[in-house]
Amino acid sequence: MLRLPVIKLTAGLQNGRISVARLHTTSSKLQQELVEVFIDDKPVQVPPGTTVLQAAAKVGVEIPRFCYHERLAVAGNCRMCLVEIEKQIKPVAACAMPVMKGWRVKTNSDLTRKAREGVMEFLLVNHPLDCPICDQGGECDLQDQSMAFGSDRSRFVDINYTGKRAVEDKDIGPLIKTIMTRCIHCTRCIRFASEVAGIDDLGTTGRGNDMQVGTYVEKMFLSELSGNIIDLCPVGALTSKPYAFVARPWETRRTDSIDVLDAVGSNIVISHRTNEVLRILPRVNEEINEEWLSDKARFSCDGLKRQRLITPMIKINGNLEAVEWEDALVATARAIQNIAPNKCAGIAGKLVDAEALVALKDLVNRLGGEILATEQSFPKEGAGIDLRSNYLLNNTIAAVEEADVVLLIGTNPRYEAPLVNTRLRKGYIHGEQTIGLIGPNVDLTYDYEHLGQSADIVTQLRNGTHPFSNTLKSAKKPLIILGVDQLMRKDGAKILSETQLLAQTLGENTKAPEEWKVLNILHTRASQVAALDVGYSSTIEEVKEQQPKVLFLLGADDANIKREDFPNTCIIYIGSHGDEGASIADVILPGAAYTEKVATYVNTEGRSQQTCAAITPPGMARPDWKIIRALSEICGVRLPYDNLAEVRSRLEEIAPHLVRYGAVESANYFAQALELSKQVPGSLSSDPLEVKQETLDQFFMTDAISRASQTMAKCVQAVIKQRESNL
Amino acid sequence: MAKYLGIDRICNFWRTIKASGGILNSLRLTFRVDELRDGTLVGVDKYGNKYYENNEYIFSRNRWVIYSEKVNLDYDGSQVPAEWYGWLHYKTDLIPTKDPSRPKHKWIADHKPNLSGTNEAYIPYTTTKPKIIPWKPPQ
Amino acid sequence: MATPVTSGLKQVKPILSLTHVEARRKVITLYKTWYRQIPFIKANYILPVTKEECQQKLREEFYRHANVRDLRVIDMLLVKGQMELQEVCAQWKPAATLLRYWKQTEEPKPKDFMSKFLSGHRE
Repeated sequence: MLRLPVIKLTAGLQNGRISVARLHTTSSKLQQELVEVFIDDKPVQVPPGTTVLQAAAKVGVEIPRFCYHERLAVAGNCRMCLVEIEKQIKPVAACAMPVMKGWRVKTNSDLTRKAREGVMEFLLVNHPLDCPICDQGGECDLQDQSMAFGSDRSRFVDINYTGKRAVEDKDIGPLIKTIMTRCIHCTRCIRFASEVAGIDDLGTTGRGNDMQVGTYVEKMFLSELSGNIIDLCPVGALTSKPYAFVARPWETRRTDSIDVLDAVGSNIVISHRTNEVLRILPRVNEEINEEWLSDKARFSCDGLKRQRLITPMIKINGNLEAVEWEDALVATARAIQNIAPNKCAGIAGKLVDAEALVALKDLVNRLGGEILATEQSFPKEGAGIDLRSNYLLNNTIAAVEEADVVLLIGTNPRYEAPLVNTRLRKGYIHGEQTIGLIGPNVDLTYDYEHLGQSADIVTQLRNGTHPFSNTLKSAKKPLIILGVDQLMRKDGAKILSETQLLAQTLGENTKAPEEWKVLNILHTRASQVAALDVGYSSTIEEVKEQQPKVLFLLGADDANIKREDFPNTCIIYIGSHGDEGASIADVILPGAAYTEKVATYVNTEGRSQQTCAAITPPGMARPDWKIIRALSEICGVRLPYDNLAEVRSRLEEIAPHLVRYGAVESANYFAQALELSKQVPGSLSSDPLEVKQETLDQFFMTDAISRASQTMAKCVQAVIKQRESNL
Repeated sequence: MAKYLGIDRICNFWRTIKASGGILNSLRLTFRVDELRDGTLVGVDKYGNKYYENNEYIFSRNRWVIYSEKVNLDYDGSQVPAEWYGWLHYKTDLIPTKDPSRPKHKWIADHKPNLSGTNEAYIPYTTTKPKIIPWKPPQ
Repeated sequence: MATPVTSGLKQVKPILSLTHVEARRKVITLYKTWYRQIPFIKANYILPVTKEECQQKLREEFYRHANVRDLRVIDMLLVKGQMELQEVCAQWKPAATLLRYWKQTEEPKPKDFMSKFLSGHRE
């Protein structure tokens, strides 16, 4: 609690929840309604309904607490936040009590201090003396607050008689280590599980001294957001199992970075020590991931140490052998020299950064090739990739929770982008969103109306023949989220055009404000948006047709590229992990993973963000764009940039938003995209819309890094085992 | 009387030469170990090192070893095996063959002299698990 | 102390010399002292360099700072040169440190992209 700065307040608060980051909308009407309170004799004006704790935070006074959390409902059961109000006999719980006019709050008086010492004493009575072996030591709220607010001596003599309470550990999965003796029953985990994660498995059993927090039956807490309760727990009751006993927080260095295992671009903090990534924690970003992080992003960091490519390799006599850099580059150059124009192609994978994409495009263009594909093909008909509104989550992630009717087409946001799903759930709980899904009947964390599985429901909704279209038409802020996997189908372009027509109809008929964008595409790959921005417009079919002499695989590990399709090509693989792409390659040039390079990634909203290098690439690996630049020099078509600043200026030449980190460039030209999409030929096929990740066991291992991780494998096994048990 | 004139020293000298096997051998021995002493051969070990004793010399110089011819000039103190080490360093007066309390187990390894500077010298190597596990290409 | 040097807008305390002429005279004196010390260096130290090479290296070191205009910097360089001379004359400097002037075992840092890439240089 004392570590995270208290988030600044905005207007319009209910139940202590902070709403989406918006500018202060203090109109004159609200100004009249502001209530004046005095915190430690400092006056502050707050809107009515603010709690004493929030008012104090506005002044800068931090009141200690355990159970209060800005993003969860108020519980008020820890009693640590008790403060004295003048002329009141009892101290009040600052986290739950809304302010009254003229109150004088004393956060440092004798009564307040005595209350805090008393509460702390009671908490420590039954708390085990585990600090030396507890993982939370050094970042423990109980430790910090007992030092700052607790009394200096103990009066606990009961240790010689009944002793302290002990509670059995609960098994809630391969990710969370529970030592329930340390639990102080703040109920943050229970509130998180039921509010944000949507799984009501955690609860309390018993009362008083015998109260236990857990799942009561031996059930695993299997959610895609389960790792967040490790952050929430103020003591060491819930800790990370893969990170158990690994390091103390003061020994680690923290580097800010971005997560690339899904397309949301959650901000993370990489804790590392002696060139080894130890754990990944979320960073607060109100607009993308708030304070949460999906399990895959959090726990796949041990996949960064396995199956790594650490030396360049060349296929000699049918086997890949490790060689030096000069030999590998010269062998590649020999394969590249004297190829005809248009006999060179590149395929971009999932985890590639914008610098490498641009470098590869420049290289392939200089060698005469034009075909650069992404593994997940985007339809070329209609506007294709020329208009950004065609392929972005136009409305930004933060605005998703403000919609009142949401239509999900062919996407399972729960597993494709868990942090977008939290926003939908937030809207569902607080904003009474109605959500309709076209696709397989998946288990989402909120109730939704399943409209069917065929693609022509979209047309029906537009025509008004479907019962759900009335709900859509009467919506004030409708939102359509189309999963990008559906655009890979043969009728993908048609689906996109139908969705655009529907979005247009909704935009006209409803009273949505100007900046509200109805059409959104939800991506699943971190590099897809950057690739489409830079100009990777081809598909794998076109590459197969072209039969290039030299094919660059930039981290392309999906199994849809087979050696049999390219019998006479020299396949050059540039990537960090040895997965499918490396096994079919002729030359392997080892690249860096996302924790090891300074790189630019664009998330599904079109927001460009940069990762920072926490560790150095292992062995002889180098950052990807440098490999391509070195290759270009040896081939004779030297690229014009030598260092990161020059690459970024090239990025800026191509698309200026790629270097404007943290800002969303809002896409427009919706009308033009619509006109172009009206000319798309063909019709919707009758195949049902399928989603790649339907159940939790398909969530964990989706890309090269998570497939190499042993923690993820354990998670998949645990989910399958849980499914077979009958709880 | 002979002692006063120093003749007994000459006699000692010739006796030592005879005990060392003649003038040529004495010269060889002096070149090799820089010393010429006469003493009774107490025993030989399996490497060929010869152990001598002569209690007329002062204590701490009355027992010595002449290393085997196999090593020539590369003799080294660590070439003395364990069983003779005790006798040579005055830990015991009994030579290995005469001492009943010497341990005889089948797991006792062969004696190895100090191997520094040779090919089999110990070079420390890491026994920790490697941090990064590289990818093994399919065969 | 002497009157402050009034070159430019700042008034700073001088270190050794007040004018460029003075500084130049000091530099040339230092050079001549070093030059005359070279035979004695060769006599006292065992160096694998000839007298000509020593003289050439001396010239090189002096010309390295030929474009310095700031008086105080010139004075500092003079002081450092005098300190080096003292260390060499009194034989406080071991021969290996003296040989560092020729940097025989120092590998030059990679400067162009390819050498930086192949050596793993990160910048």
